[in-house]
Amino acid sequence: MRPYRAMARLAWRNALAYRVPFLMSLSMLVFNLAAMFALWQALLSDGNSLAGFTWPQMKAYLLVSFVTNCLVSTFTDFAMASRIRSGAVAVDLVKPVDYQKGRFAEALGFALLETTAALVVCTVVLVAFGGVPWPSPGQLALFAASLLAVVPLKFLIVYMCGLLCFWTQNYLGISLARTAISGILSGATVPLVFFPPWLRHVAEVLPFQAITNTPAMLFLGRSPGLSAVSALAVQILWVVGLWWLARRLWHVAVRRLTVHGG
Amino acid sequence: MAPLIEATGLVKEFRRPRRDSGLTGALKHLVTRRFDIHRAVDGIDLRVGEGESVAYAGPNGAGKSTTVKLLTGILVPTAGEVRVAGVVPHRDRIANAKNVGVVFGQRTQLWWDLPVGDTFELLRDMYRIPAADYRRSLGRLTEVLEIGPLLPVLARKLSLGQRMRADLAAALLHQPHILYLDEPTIGLDLDVKDRVRTFLRQLVADGTTILLTTHDIGDIEEVCGRIVVIDEGRIRHDGPVEVLRDALASASSVRFQLSASAPLDLIRERLGDAEVTAPGERELVVRFDRTTRTAGAVAATVMGLVEVRDLRINDEGIADLIRRIHRPDEVTARSGAA
Repeated sequence: MRPYRAMARLAWRNALAYRVPFLMSLSMLVFNLAAMFALWQALLSDGNSLAGFTWPQMKAYLLVSFVTNCLVSTFTDFAMASRIRSGAVAVDLVKPVDYQKGRFAEALGFALLETTAALVVCTVVLVAFGGVPWPSPGQLALFAASLLAVVPLKFLIVYMCGLLCFWTQNYLGISLARTAISGILSGATVPLVFFPPWLRHVAEVLPFQAITNTPAMLFLGRSPGLSAVSALAVQILWVVGLWWLARRLWHVAVRRLTVHGG
Repeated sequence: MAPLIEATGLVKEFRRPRRDSGLTGALKHLVTRRFDIHRAVDGIDLRVGEGESVAYAGPNGAGKSTTVKLLTGILVPTAGEVRVAGVVPHRDRIANAKNVGVVFGQRTQLWWDLPVGDTFELLRDMYRIPAADYRRSLGRLTEVLEIGPLLPVLARKLSLGQRMRADLAAALLHQPHILYLDEPTIGLDLDVKDRVRTFLRQLVADGTTILLTTHDIGDIEEVCGRIVVIDEGRIRHDGPVEVLRDALASASSVRFQLSASAPLDLIRERLGDAEVTAPGERELVVRFDRTTRTAGAVAATVMGLVEVRDLRINDEGIADLIRRIHRPDEVTARSGAA
């Protein structure tokens, strides 16, 4: 554990060195949140409900989605991609740490900063726009657990996309595609209940929905009793499965490494 | 005793996309991808014993860096085997990392935006170095590399020489048995080069096994006991640096500028075992053994046969010798003359 704890700590300190780009990307997410708030407020504020969403519930949904958008988004992928492309990854490969665990430790260090920033924004929004329906202690515990599971889940998706740099040597396209696909299929853009049935079925069998849909539904208490536990179990199964898959991908990817000069 | 570093039949091939120039070339590449196989390392056998200091020399693109990356486990070989201290580096990276230190002259392992000391503390935890060992190791390294004042400085603010010394310390904190250095003195000024070399000599004296790639003759002569010359992915020469130096002690050459083209056959006949080459039409180089003939005698012989406009007498350095090893055509010319 000691090496990974140290890596997480240093990643956190390094993130502070990059506070300006961090705040810029955070502000992008905040603007996005503001736009969604304006849109849904116009649709729901006069007491309407759509697909079972009232305005306070939608506020809660948007905030959960904002938090899951913040997690593991700003540093991990571009940092890793640029190290692979520049060949600096060579230095990582002669360190006595497992590559995947090492990157995860760094993502956790960054996540600490991201969580702090997200909580500040949420507090400000709650003060400005009024309250949201607060879940029961049981729901809250399930929600917290699922939010914790979002970190490794999102990390693994980002990590595997980063590994694709061993093939493409260009990351921007991959990152944009990942953001778009994940944004839609996770439910971060629009809740899954608004999807046409076929797209909803597609989304439900993919891991992305566990990023935003699962924690949001748990917070709102929309998955009662056993189905809440099974939603959490699905999330954890995805983490285990993707962890294994990412390892296989790494072993294939590292064989393709070419580092020229120096 | 089994060698510490053992490579057998090592091969590394890269696939290079082949693309014609221009827009049509780019479009064609999208549809039909063609690749050239490039063999950067072509069947290398290398054994390095404990405590040896080996220079790995050769021209750009010869496969020096690729070999180091295969030995450190960064690259996976296309064929052949590597064993370093009993470990296959690319299969067991973590075990291998604990045995070796690596310094890349053109790449840093310091965290760019953090103070140097922070990177050192990270390395302490990464290698699980006990507190007492770390203090001793850091104390020794800061003293001999004079990096004490650099510890609180951000890595990106360091000059190249400072960065190099900090990188050396970073690679040695965990006291590895083996140190690989890929062009460790590239871009450094003479003073810093000298300090780095003195430090490396000291490491060798303390029993660390060193393998360094370099273009710099000084690195070879001052640090290494053995030199391996590689070209086009193959080993061309492998032997003690001393033998090379002894060969140099007796090697000398005279370079002539002539007024007319030289009667090569006649000169060769008169000079017997000396090596006579004509790099240009009105140029002549005679390499000879200083113990059997003098520069004066060589000059007199040539001047008796052709009008000489200018001449220069050189002692040969290791650089010239390596260059000749690199250029098989000149070597053939010599054996043809002998």
